[in-house]
Amino acid sequence: MSEDKEKIISEAVEKALQGDMDAINNIEDRVTRSKAKAALVKAKRTNVVADKDSTKENNTSKSKVEEKINFNQALCQKISEKFPDSIDADQNNDWIQLRPENWLKIAKWLKSDEKLSFDSLQCNTGMDLGEGVLESRYNLHSMKHLHKAEIRIIVSVEKPDIPSVEQVWRVADWFERETYDMFGINFIGHRDLRRILLPDDWEGWPLRKDYQEQETYHGIVVPKVKEGWE
Amino acid sequence: MTVDFLFDFLSELLAGLVGSGPVLIISMLIPCLILFGFITIYALIVIYAELKVSSFIQDKVGPMGQGVGLHAGKWGLLQPIADALKLLLKEDIIPSSADRPLFILAPFMIFIGAFISFVALPFGESIIVADLNIGLFYILGVGSIAVLSLILAGWSSNNKWSLYGGMRSAAQIISYEIPAGLSLIVVIMLAGTLNMQDIIRYQAGGMFSWILFDNPFVPIAFVVYFISAIAETNRTPFDLPESESELVAGFATEYSGMRYAFFFLSEYANMFVVSAVAAACFLGGWHSPVSGFMDSPSWGVFWMISKTFFLIFIMIWLRWTLPRLRVDQLMNVCWKVFLPVALINIFGVAIWTVIFNQ
Amino acid sequence: MGVVHGQEMVLNIGPQHPATHGVLRLQVKTDGEIISEITPYMGYLHRCFEKHCENVTYEQVIPFTDRCDYLASMTMNFGYVVAMEQLMEIKVNDKVEYIRVIMAELQRIASHLLGIGAFGLDLGAFTPFLHMLRDRERILDIFEMTCGARLLYNYMWVGGLSHDLPTGFVEATLNFLDYFEPKVDEFENLLGHNKIFVERTADIGIMPADVAISYGVTGPNLRGSGVKWDLRKDDQYSIYDRFDFNVPVGKGLKGTVGDCWDRFYVRIHEIRESIKIVRQAIDQLPKEGDVHQAMPKKIRPPKGSIYRRTESPRGDLGYYIESDGSDTPYRVKMRSPAFTALSVLNEIGAGWLMSDVLGILGSLDIVLGEIDR
Repeated sequence: MSEDKEKIISEAVEKALQGDMDAINNIEDRVTRSKAKAALVKAKRTNVVADKDSTKENNTSKSKVEEKINFNQALCQKISEKFPDSIDADQNNDWIQLRPENWLKIAKWLKSDEKLSFDSLQCNTGMDLGEGVLESRYNLHSMKHLHKAEIRIIVSVEKPDIPSVEQVWRVADWFERETYDMFGINFIGHRDLRRILLPDDWEGWPLRKDYQEQETYHGIVVPKVKEGWE
Repeated sequence: MTVDFLFDFLSELLAGLVGSGPVLIISMLIPCLILFGFITIYALIVIYAELKVSSFIQDKVGPMGQGVGLHAGKWGLLQPIADALKLLLKEDIIPSSADRPLFILAPFMIFIGAFISFVALPFGESIIVADLNIGLFYILGVGSIAVLSLILAGWSSNNKWSLYGGMRSAAQIISYEIPAGLSLIVVIMLAGTLNMQDIIRYQAGGMFSWILFDNPFVPIAFVVYFISAIAETNRTPFDLPESESELVAGFATEYSGMRYAFFFLSEYANMFVVSAVAAACFLGGWHSPVSGFMDSPSWGVFWMISKTFFLIFIMIWLRWTLPRLRVDQLMNVCWKVFLPVALINIFGVAIWTVIFNQ
Repeated sequence: MGVVHGQEMVLNIGPQHPATHGVLRLQVKTDGEIISEITPYMGYLHRCFEKHCENVTYEQVIPFTDRCDYLASMTMNFGYVVAMEQLMEIKVNDKVEYIRVIMAELQRIASHLLGIGAFGLDLGAFTPFLHMLRDRERILDIFEMTCGARLLYNYMWVGGLSHDLPTGFVEATLNFLDYFEPKVDEFENLLGHNKIFVERTADIGIMPADVAISYGVTGPNLRGSGVKWDLRKDDQYSIYDRFDFNVPVGKGLKGTVGDCWDRFYVRIHEIRESIKIVRQAIDQLPKEGDVHQAMPKKIRPPKGSIYRRTESPRGDLGYYIESDGSDTPYRVKMRSPAFTALSVLNEIGAGWLMSDVLGILGSLDIVLGEIDR
C-alpha cells in the first residue's frame, strides 16, 4: 500500500473519530474507502494498552489484518459467483457470513478447489448470540497455501439446522457432535449425531445463555442453591 | 538323613501300637509338611527379593523401614509378612454370577499342581521326598495341571476379561511345554536315565563335567528350556495372561484375598520348580562347582538352592527389563523358532555324541 | 450402535484404566482377539470449563486452563495468553518472551517423558517409565523453584508472568540439561531399539498423512505420519523465530511411515530439539526487564473474536475467544489436540489385536482432562 494512501486513510480516520464522516465518504477509490472504514471500526474499539514504542509492530499487525480482510473479500466474491445468494450481511470483516442452505456444497468446493484447497478444519465453535440466535463458526486453514478463513453461519433457536460437513472434513464429526451437545444445533446429514461429553439422557443445551440445570438426574438432586458450600 | 530313615525310625517307634497303615501315612506326611514349610519361607523370601531387585533396576529404594514395627521393618524385611497378613485378612468376594464350585476349586488346583511337583525335586544327596524312577517325566507331567486350573479360573469368573486371560494362558502353557520337553530330552539322552538323583550323579566332578558343558549343543538346549520355562510360569516377557495394563489381572481379576494369593504363590512355586529342574539337569544339581570343595552331602542343599536362586534372579531381572510380547508373536516364537531349534538340537547332540564317543 | 454379528463380543475397556491416560471408556467389538470396531465414550471428566469461563474474569480463566491438560499446564497457559495478547494487541518485553519459551520447552520435555513412559508401560516395559519419571521430577523441581507449584502453575498471565525467575534458576536448568542430555540416548536405546518393543510397535496403527490431516490430528502424531508441520515454525508465535531447531518427522525407519514407532521416534527427537531451544534461550536471556511491565490493570479486550493456535506437546492447541467488551469473556472455546487424536482411533485401530489397540492408544498420547475439559 503506498505511502500517500496510508496518509489519506489515517487523516480520514482521525477526522471521523471526531465526528466528521465526510472525509471518509469522499475518498474516491472504493478499495481505499473500504479500508478506511475498516480502520475506523478498529480505532473505535477501546484499546487497553497502546504501546507507543512499537508503531512498527502495530503497522505489521494492521497490515496483516488488512491482508486478511482483502483475502476475505476476494473469497466472498468467489463464493457469491459460484453459489449466488449464499453470503449473508456485510463483508468488511475477517470472517464470512453464510446462509446455512448451501453450506455443504460450498464446503466441498472450498476443499477441492485448487487455488483454495482448505484441507483442514481447525475448529468449530458454537455461539449463542442471545435473543434466540445461534451461530456456528468454522475456522478453515489450508496446509498447502497457508491461508485461513473463518465462516459463520447463523440459525435461529426454533429451527437450528445446519448441513453437516463431516463427510468433507472428518474432524467435523466430533466437533459437530460437541456443538450439538452444548448448543442444540442440529446438523443435518450427520451420520451419528449424539451427545459426546454429556451422558446421552441429559436434558438441555448447557452452553446456551438461558440454560437452566435440570432438577434431578437419575434421582440425584442437581444443586442450584450453593450457599451451604464453602 | 533320608526319608527311609524317618520311615524306619517312625515305624520302629510306633511298631506294635498301631498297624502299618497309619504309620505309613504319618511318615509320608511329615516330609510333605516340612516341604510345605519350605515353600512358605521361600515364598516370603522371593517376594522380598523381587521387590528389592526391581527397585535396584528401577532406580528406587523399594520397601524400607527403620525397625520392627516401624513401616516395613529394617530394610523392609517385614514387607512380605505384611503382604501375607493383608491378603489373609481381606474380604473374600465371590461374584454372584460366578460358577461357585469351579471358582473355589481353581486356586486349590493350581496350588496342588505346583506343590506335587516339589516332591520329586532333589535337594541333596539323599534329600528328596520321593525318589521316583521317572522323576523328570513326573515333574513335567504334573506341571500341566496348571493349565486346567487356569482355564477353570478364567471361565468360572464369568468375566470376559478373565476369559481372555484364561484362554491366552492355556494356549501359552500348552505350546511352551513342547520345546521345554524336547530340550530335556537332550539331558535324558546324555544321562541315560529319568531318575533325578541319577542325572545329578552323572554330573559328578567339577564344573566342567556338568551337562551344560558336555556338548556344544547343550547350551542351546539350556537356553531354549529356560525361556520356555519363563513362558510356562507366565512371567514377563510372556505375562500376557496377567498383563496389568491390558486385562487388569487377567484370569485372576475376580479373585480377592487368599484365593488371589494362591495364584501368585503358585506362580512363585512354579518358578522354583522350573529353576530347580534346570539347575539339576544342566547345572549339576547339588554338586559343588569345584570338586572336593564344600562337597559333603550337607553342602549339597546349599549348592542346589543357590543355583536355583541364581536362575530365579535372572527371571526377575528379565521381568523388569523387557516389554511383553503379543499373543501371536509369543506363539510365533514357540512354534516357528523354538520347536525347530529344539528338534535340530536333539539330532545335533546325538550326532556329536556318536562322533566323539563321550 | 449398529448390529452386533453372531460371533462378536462387546467389551468395555475402562473407564477405570490401569494406564495413565485417564477416565476413558472404549467399547470394542471383538471377534476372538481381533477388534472390529472401537467406540470411545468420554465425558467422565467433563468439568464445564467453557461454561465457567463465561462467569469469571479473563485472569481467572488461566487456572482453569491449567487443569485441562494437567500434564502440560505451561503450554496451556501459553496458548491462552498468546491469544489474549493478540486480541488486545499487547506486546510484552523480551525477558518475558524468553522465559515463556524456556518454560514451554521444559514443559514439553516433561510431557513427552511421561507420554513415552506411559506408552512403554502399556506395552509391559515397567522400568523405562520409572526412569523417565525420575528425570521428570527434576524438571518439576525447577518449576517449583520458580512458581511454587509442581503440576498446575498458573504462571503465564496476560501481559507477563506471575513470578520472575529466582536466583539460581539458570544454574539449576543448565545442570539439569547437562545431566539429562545423555539420558535421552539411553532411553532411545533402552526402549526404542529394543527388539520386542520394535516388534510391538513397528507397522502397527499406521496413519496415512491424508487421514491424519482430514481427522485434524496435529503435533507429534501428524509429524509421525511424515507431514512436516510445526506451529512454532509454520504459524509463528512468540519469539520462536530467533531459535535454530529442527522439526523431526517420522521416516518409517523401522516399519512404515506413520506407525506407532514413528510417533515414538518423533517424541524422542523433539525432546532433543527442546533441549537445544532451552540452551539457546538461556544464552540469549536478557538480564534486565520487569515481568509485570506490560500487564494491564484491568483486562478489558475490545469487542471481537480471535482464534489462535499454539503448539502444545500434544498438537495444536487453539483458543477461540469472543469478547463483548466487558471483563468476563463471552465465549472461550479450547480446541484440544487430544480430542482429535482420539477421534482417529477407530480409523487406525480397527482390525488389529487387543494388545495392539492399547499400544496405539498409548502412542497417541492423550490426556483425558484436555478431551473432556
